Amino acid sequence: MHASRNRSRALATIIGIPLAATAMVAAYFFISWQVRAAPEQPAPMDHAAMTEKGVSCLFCHSDALKSPAAGIPSLEKCMGCHQVVKTDSPEIEEVAAYWHRQEPIPWVRVNQLPRFVYFTHRVHVNAGLNCERCHGDVAHMQSAEPVTKMNMGWCLDCHEQQPDAEQLRDCVICHQ
Amino acid sequence: MTNISRRDFIKVGTAGILTTVLTGCQNPRHWVTLEPYVIPPEEQLAGVATWYATTCRQCPAGCGIIVRVMNGRALKIEGNPQHPLNKGKLCARGQAGLQILYNPDRLPGPVQQTKRGSGRFQPVSWEDGLNTLYARLQQAGNSTAIWTGSTTSGHLLDLFGRFAAAIGAPSPLVFDLCSELNGLATLENASQAFFGKNRLPTYDLDQADVVLSFGADFLGPWLSQVRYGTAFGAFRSQPLGKRGYLVQLEPRMSTTGAKADRWLPVSPGTEALVAQALVRIMADGPLGPAERLTEANTLASEIDVSSVAAASGIPVTELEQVARIFATATRPLAIPGNALAAQDGQGTAIAAVHALNTIAGADGLALSPDSPATWLLKPQVSPFSDVQALIERMQAGDIQLLLIHGANPVYELPESAGFVDALAHVPFVVSFSPIADETSAQADLVLPDRTYLESWGYNVTSPGFDLPVVGSQQPVVTPVFDARSTGDVLLTVARGIPAAATALPWRDEVAFLKETIPQLGPGAAGGSDSDVLWSRFLQHGGWWSATTPSPVHPTAVLSQPVQAETPQFQGNEQEYPYFLHLYMSDFMSDGRGANQPWLQGAPDPMTTVAWQTWVEMHPRTAQQLGVKDGDVVRIASPAGEIEAPVYIYPAIRPDTVAIPIGQGHTDYGRYARKRGSNPMDLVGATDEGLAWAAMRVRITPTGKKTAQAGFESKIGVTEGFINEAFPR
Repeated sequence: MHASRNRSRALATIIGIPLAATAMVAAYFFISWQVRAAPEQPAPMDHAAMTEKGVSCLFCHSDALKSPAAGIPSLEKCMGCHQVVKTDSPEIEEVAAYWHRQEPIPWVRVNQLPRFVYFTHRVHVNAGLNCERCHGDVAHMQSAEPVTKMNMGWCLDCHEQQPDAEQLRDCVICHQ
Repeated sequence: MTNISRRDFIKVGTAGILTTVLTGCQNPRHWVTLEPYVIPPEEQLAGVATWYATTCRQCPAGCGIIVRVMNGRALKIEGNPQHPLNKGKLCARGQAGLQILYNPDRLPGPVQQTKRGSGRFQPVSWEDGLNTLYARLQQAGNSTAIWTGSTTSGHLLDLFGRFAAAIGAPSPLVFDLCSELNGLATLENASQAFFGKNRLPTYDLDQADVVLSFGADFLGPWLSQVRYGTAFGAFRSQPLGKRGYLVQLEPRMSTTGAKADRWLPVSPGTEALVAQALVRIMADGPLGPAERLTEANTLASEIDVSSVAAASGIPVTELEQVARIFATATRPLAIPGNALAAQDGQGTAIAAVHALNTIAGADGLALSPDSPATWLLKPQVSPFSDVQALIERMQAGDIQLLLIHGANPVYELPESAGFVDALAHVPFVVSFSPIADETSAQADLVLPDRTYLESWGYNVTSPGFDLPVVGSQQPVVTPVFDARSTGDVLLTVARGIPAAATALPWRDEVAFLKETIPQLGPGAAGGSDSDVLWSRFLQHGGWWSATTPSPVHPTAVLSQPVQAETPQFQGNEQEYPYFLHLYMSDFMSDGRGANQPWLQGAPDPMTTVAWQTWVEMHPRTAQQLGVKDGDVVRIASPAGEIEAPVYIYPAIRPDTVAIPIGQGHTDYGRYARKRGSNPMDLVGATDEGLAWAAMRVRITPTGKKTAQAGFESKIGVTEGFINEAFPR
């Protein structure tokens, strides 16, 4: 009696532990996949359609050249074109509805750096970096997706390749 | 205990873990929403903060603040480094101002109710609200009364004053609990005898080497904690390593008392007698230099020092030591505290303290120099007798319409003042409060004003210290709710009343401000034409003169002894054995801070208790009553009664109990409502004013107990405590 109980307990341990480990690994991948997927946005925003028509990134995200944040265009800017362009499309009608209510669209942030990182778009864009270098091929995406995992290793990979890598390796460059 | 088998434990545990993991998986998102502008301001960059200078309105002092605004949202308040009053410093109340702006319980727009106190507010349009106000004003004519508070903007007080004069109504009343507890009206009145002017004096703490404070909690909420905090720093670290010496006389140790070199637990109400005894000791000593001795001989009354020692509880030797320290100091200063203003013979008590300043040469006492713009003078806080006169008129049915802005009298005045009863005789009450407070709950119509971070205005800083200062107020964000500035509301309705239309010809309040402010001329910020002067006024957070004018010292000093009276208390000693000591909470102030959770959660500096009302009691008193920390007691005075848990506090006289003011709201938003109790209910009103420092109470244990939200363990502090100051 005693021996069989011990055996079953050992069996449970042998099967249980790897099973639990597998479940945890699977959960980790499942969660990280979900995190990296494009968030659901309150209104449709087809980046590919815009760039196809020749609209550059900086036309809408115009603060990237002069400010730490690239910024999301104001509703006034959207409606600047879309009062005449494609007014019959149901997607634009959705945006226009916000404009008529004079309500900001609660866009969902796609890329987010931790608060202890002092990142500025201005320096990077003015150094000649393309938006795609970090944000991926947004020009061929509909809704923007977080394709790059923006962690410290990824930042340093690029900083190390720069001519002034010595300075760009300094902690206070990003962690002021 | 129930028997849980190992198997059951594993089952339940696994189920718990699985539930946690699965709920976690269902919503792995940590996305943040970004709301861009609908129409962005020009030159606004994403991710770059804009700082706006304006004036804090959490208390009447009016510190200069700068507000960090990002994408149209106010994120952080700091002190304005340029402002002469606070020089970049700011207190906790100033920091919490964002929670007034973004308070979830603010009224989204104008509301009315058919039955007062029902709490069933019906939203109305601004058009209807303004029309109702206009119709009522027309109907009421000169039987309109206007009630404002000490933090109402200067320009609005000015507009209200012009409006009242135009319709023939009495000039607006300026009264709130904060001004009453600060003793503003009484201290201002007492200045008349010394300076010939009815204005708050300034105490040159930073220049003094010995300060005798008669219950003035200047490092707490009295007058300006930021300004006096800075001055206290200078007082403690003077040139050549000299350190100022502070003696604090008060029945219960305040924040200031905790920092004093010598704390004397004087019996409540005997401060004036102690001041007189000190003069007597100096004269008899003889103590101090010859010219001080001459003054002391002139001002010494026929008072028996040993009987004062018996009445006040301060031994004669102690009094002699203090008298010696004061008389031999280079630049001593005596400060009359706010409690002196709430007792019978208030003027005499303050004069008794000023007798000490007269002996000292009155160097430390000054009036701030006159502002060159007399039309911007800070309006006088009304004495309580004016409040009583208005309540009587309300009671008699002489008031048809009552307009209330910046004050909350239903909460602030004790029941004995009779305000709530008198309100029933007023046919129509309009409140301009941005949040539904106790007074709005008794109003027929609420036309919410904008909060101070969304408003225009100015504030004449008083006491202005070494410079005349006018602080500017400008909106730092676009209004969060559909609130309208009361100045604009007044100017709008005035257009329909011929007399008022002539007196108030401005299109809106900004037009009025743009006309009055540039008349100040170029101050420290410079500028020539009126547009530049106006911009600089807003940019720098106010106007102050470029050069420091010489301070105004007393013109008339005392020439004969002051006859202080023995203190009178409401309630006899047998029935009500304890003195009641009420004090303003450092964070709640007079109760206006209670709707801000940051302030509610900030632990009181002396007890570390937060979110509550408590009653401070000496360990021996608690022992006699058989109560421990957290035991709820009923405190009854001749005027009313409340319940509160006991906090055993060694630094208080055994014959006194102390209660902080600020909680016990029945309205005023979710953070304030139904929390603690309002000790103002214990206060009786007399002909001289609210007797908040002249009450006796009775204490009975209720048998109930409540947990106290405090930070500190009290082991070793009150357990087995023997206070040598109070020998058995």
